[in-house]
Amino acid sequence: MSCLDYKMTRRSMLGATGATLLGWQIRDLLANEGKSHAQTAEHVILFWNGGGMTHIDTWDPKPGRPTGGELKPIKTSVPGMEISEIFPELAKQMHHCSLIRSIAGTNGDHGRATYQLQTSYQASSNLQHPGLGSVVVHERNQLGDLPAYISISGQAPRAGYMGQKCEAYFVAEPGEQDPYLAFPSGIAEVRGNKRLEVLGKFNQRFTDVQKNSKLDATQTAINDAVKLMRSPALEAFDLNKVPTTTLNRYGDTSFGRGCILAKRLVETGVRFVQVNRGGFDTHTANFPAMEAHGSVMDPALASLVQDLAESGMLKKTMIIMLSEFGRTPVINKDAGRDHWASVFSCFMAGGGVKGGQVIGSSDEDGYQPKDRPVQVPDIHATVCHALGINPSKEVMTPLQRPMKLVDKGSFVTELFA
Amino acid sequence: MTARVALGVALLISLGSFAPLAINQAVSAETAALSPLDQLLATENAGVKAQAAPIVNDLAFLRRITVDLIGRIPTAAEIDEFMAWSSSERRTNAIDKLLADGRFADRWTVFYSDLLRLRTNAEGGQAFLAFVHKAVEANMPYDEMVRNLLIANGKANYTPEVGFILGDGADPMAMAGVTSQTFMGIRIACAQCHDHPFDVWTREDFYGLAAYFGKTRRFENDFTNTIYTTETDATTVLWPPEGVGKEADRKPMTPKFPFKLAEGSAEPEYIVRLKELRTAQEQRKLAAKDAKQNKVDDLLAEADKALEKITTPKPVDATGVLAENQSEVDKLKLAQGRYRNSEMRTDLAKLVTDPRNRYFAKNHVNRVWAELMGRGIVDPVDDFSQNNKPSHPKTLDYLADEFVAGGYDLKNIVRIIVTSQAYQREHLIKVDEATRTTIETAFLATTPRRMISEALYDSIVVGGRLFDVKHENGKNLTTAWRHQQVVKDKKSEEIATSNLASAVNVTKPAMAAKPAEAVPTSGAYSVEDAFELDFNAVLAKKDDAPEVEQMKMMSKEEIEAQAMAKQIGRPGVEYIDKYVKVIFDDNPRFTTALRMETPAPPTHFLRVFGQSTREALGEFRDHSPTMRQALLIMNGRLIHEASRVGELEPAYALLVGKKKNYESAVALAYRDLLTREATAQEIKEGIQLIEAGDTPLSGYADFRWVLLNCNEFRFIP
Repeated sequence: MSCLDYKMTRRSMLGATGATLLGWQIRDLLANEGKSHAQTAEHVILFWNGGGMTHIDTWDPKPGRPTGGELKPIKTSVPGMEISEIFPELAKQMHHCSLIRSIAGTNGDHGRATYQLQTSYQASSNLQHPGLGSVVVHERNQLGDLPAYISISGQAPRAGYMGQKCEAYFVAEPGEQDPYLAFPSGIAEVRGNKRLEVLGKFNQRFTDVQKNSKLDATQTAINDAVKLMRSPALEAFDLNKVPTTTLNRYGDTSFGRGCILAKRLVETGVRFVQVNRGGFDTHTANFPAMEAHGSVMDPALASLVQDLAESGMLKKTMIIMLSEFGRTPVINKDAGRDHWASVFSCFMAGGGVKGGQVIGSSDEDGYQPKDRPVQVPDIHATVCHALGINPSKEVMTPLQRPMKLVDKGSFVTELFA
Repeated sequence: MTARVALGVALLISLGSFAPLAINQAVSAETAALSPLDQLLATENAGVKAQAAPIVNDLAFLRRITVDLIGRIPTAAEIDEFMAWSSSERRTNAIDKLLADGRFADRWTVFYSDLLRLRTNAEGGQAFLAFVHKAVEANMPYDEMVRNLLIANGKANYTPEVGFILGDGADPMAMAGVTSQTFMGIRIACAQCHDHPFDVWTREDFYGLAAYFGKTRRFENDFTNTIYTTETDATTVLWPPEGVGKEADRKPMTPKFPFKLAEGSAEPEYIVRLKELRTAQEQRKLAAKDAKQNKVDDLLAEADKALEKITTPKPVDATGVLAENQSEVDKLKLAQGRYRNSEMRTDLAKLVTDPRNRYFAKNHVNRVWAELMGRGIVDPVDDFSQNNKPSHPKTLDYLADEFVAGGYDLKNIVRIIVTSQAYQREHLIKVDEATRTTIETAFLATTPRRMISEALYDSIVVGGRLFDVKHENGKNLTTAWRHQQVVKDKKSEEIATSNLASAVNVTKPAMAAKPAEAVPTSGAYSVEDAFELDFNAVLAKKDDAPEVEQMKMMSKEEIEAQAMAKQIGRPGVEYIDKYVKVIFDDNPRFTTALRMETPAPPTHFLRVFGQSTREALGEFRDHSPTMRQALLIMNGRLIHEASRVGELEPAYALLVGKKKNYESAVALAYRDLLTREATAQEIKEGIQLIEAGDTPLSGYADFRWVLLNCNEFRFIP
């Protein structure tokens, strides 16, 4: 799907969406995409941890080293793989998950690093590159009524030259109702529907006189909006009926609800969900901060992986957790860690990624990649590969400059072994 | 206004009724009565076999010109005033009035913000916006504005003009592309990496242009958290480019302006007129000298003088007078050395704004034309090239000549365009797309344009009478539950309220139970709020002294600690969610969207309706409809409030009480919202809608909701 063909795609979707929202069938019905190879994933859940999450205190512990810090490593369900003690529940699910411990970043500045981690490109002064989610929905079609790309609890990167149609749909707070998906408070359903009916008539009359395609497109957008407002798929956003036991299992937090929502969204057909979370810029008091983060993230991530694995969705849903860089092995005088881009880690699961693997390693103190360095664009290429998207495919910017979907990356083959 | 244009306008007025004219039929006696612009267009359209669309009626004209010049639809009072003028002077009166309106500067600052890719969140962006607004407000000649932007060095938000180069990190390569594309409509940026694939520009041309910026550097002072640009001795632009030949062979590139200036020894007429105009202006300025301007050069001259005064040896005692003066000296030296204008860029600015640089004037008039007409004579407007020639070259030449001769005056060129018949024509109706394109490209009919997002927002506000309070006090008491995050005090279990409701970087444990009757407060609708910036406050002169002091006193750790203290969401601190019951008088007022920080946040109304990020060069507004727009406008608070009837607005008395008159209420809505009289059929439908409501008030709200949402509202007639 090309975002520019929004209208046509929406129409072509109409026939297919009524029956089911489950990914496989609809994809088979609509074999209209330019896939370069067999894909292993249909959906992506990207966790964006803003601020630069420490690698040593999460995925790449350095026990017994002066840089190791206060947090101890623990054993996981994978023999020989250890992660930080802040993830006791997730440790039991690691046979579904893999780690890359040798990402070689190049930017130690929040802005530039975030830009590269989110787009695969280095920031350029006069070109806005699209984020990973925009790339995915530019190349893979929308399934079902819900927008293909949804960002939870924060902003997703921009769509840049891929245009407004590839921007993320934004959910401010998981579980809170989006006021724009219903008539304004005080306007009953009947009254709202009547308004829409009269509006349709007025617009039709105007269009009949003007006969201009620009005007048709407005009504198409209104129809799409109304369709979404009335779609049963919207139920995915409503967490009121989620059993308390489930909420508690995910740890009844904003992040936990974000994970529950992400799960429900991919089950409804959403291609790309980004869950944002900040507070990782731990220049001071790194260790208590990471313990606090762990207490929030661990139950939610563990439950998400477990639930998706049990329902079979994990097979076609890639989970990936990224941050703009890692943090210094040296612990500073405020018991914090500062920015460190030379090596850091990332967490992945599902979508064809074979569980229980550790790709690459950092040196004994976590300063530099030791073996199998992975470049930032390689991560983007890996996600594209899983989704059957050719990362080297070129798209044209509005100035007719050809740009590759991913900046010179090649996918991490071992992950898919 | 030049004599020539005045004549054109006078002749146009003499037509009186603006009867439709078939001006494409060669040059007839009638054509002589057209403005010079219309005559040239007619000549250049000689080969086009199509009938010109009629001139729009007076009210449609008023709506069009008001939206275009001041960024909102006309008010009922403005309609009455307009219609009270005699039909022969309505249009010129309206044009005069709107060009003098304070909102003209607000609306056209948006035009310049798009052009200059102005971002208030970029380094020095706020002051840059305030500078541009002030320049438009003061009618600063465009060539002068551009020179100010191209030559400035200084500190972000202290020297407002420097926001321009800081927007691209003062990077020579980026600035070469920006300068040529923004000011001349030439896309030379491709030539950074390879000779231009479809044009004449070579890599050497590009490097020559970039070299003007080669000595400029952006510096960041970690200690004071300030950013500034300054000139260094060595250039970073070397030739041949990296990777071509040996590294040792790369030599500093000499600045070279790649674009040809108009040749010929005789002074073109437009330059003769420009010189006359400027001489006259100079004389007027000398006459009224006391109005001093805070130009960078003037400031530097003053700094020189002051420095001399202070450093001149005078008797001091050994204990400290000198030390007292030292910070003054530091301050002045800082300004004098660091922020001096760039000499190389001064040369460049002279070349770019040289009246003989035809690209400069042509590109700008073409952009103004496109803003008002929906399509450029060269289109896209930033692609002047061999392969993209102007559709009407003589018309473009004429506009450029008048722009230069009129002293690069925006209002002058706007006036020439809006007084033309070309601007005042109707849209085509009921034709196929191919015919439409041919006729619209010939400017024999206007193309339907959706209002820019800022104008759409303000039009909803003004149409819904939301600039003022429209409900009586206490009539709209509303109970809501406001979501708040508070710090949990572990020891006493007491709760300290903190202002963290919107913080993102916060650890959020368990959410307190949400009351069943909770309704979103206006916070949920913040994407529809506008916040006015106080441009004068932004430009208010700031003193360098505190910074110099800080530099001495604060260590890096202290600064870091200060930054950390500002951060919300301290690690290790627990927060809990709380719902607070609030009763408030839901009596909203909205403010203009034209004076906001810009671009707005990504999910804001303005962005959803097409305002661009202004990050990339050549990024235009996207006017295509999207689902998000539909949701925002159908279900949003802005249109909801605009529809709702308040006791204090004129429609109320027409709907409730003894003097009620539904017909007048419907007619009023058509005038308020669509700037036209309603047809008999429309009156009938409107009354039906009022009567179909639970109350006449809710019926009328439904009716207004439809008018506010319909295509006729958002497309300029």
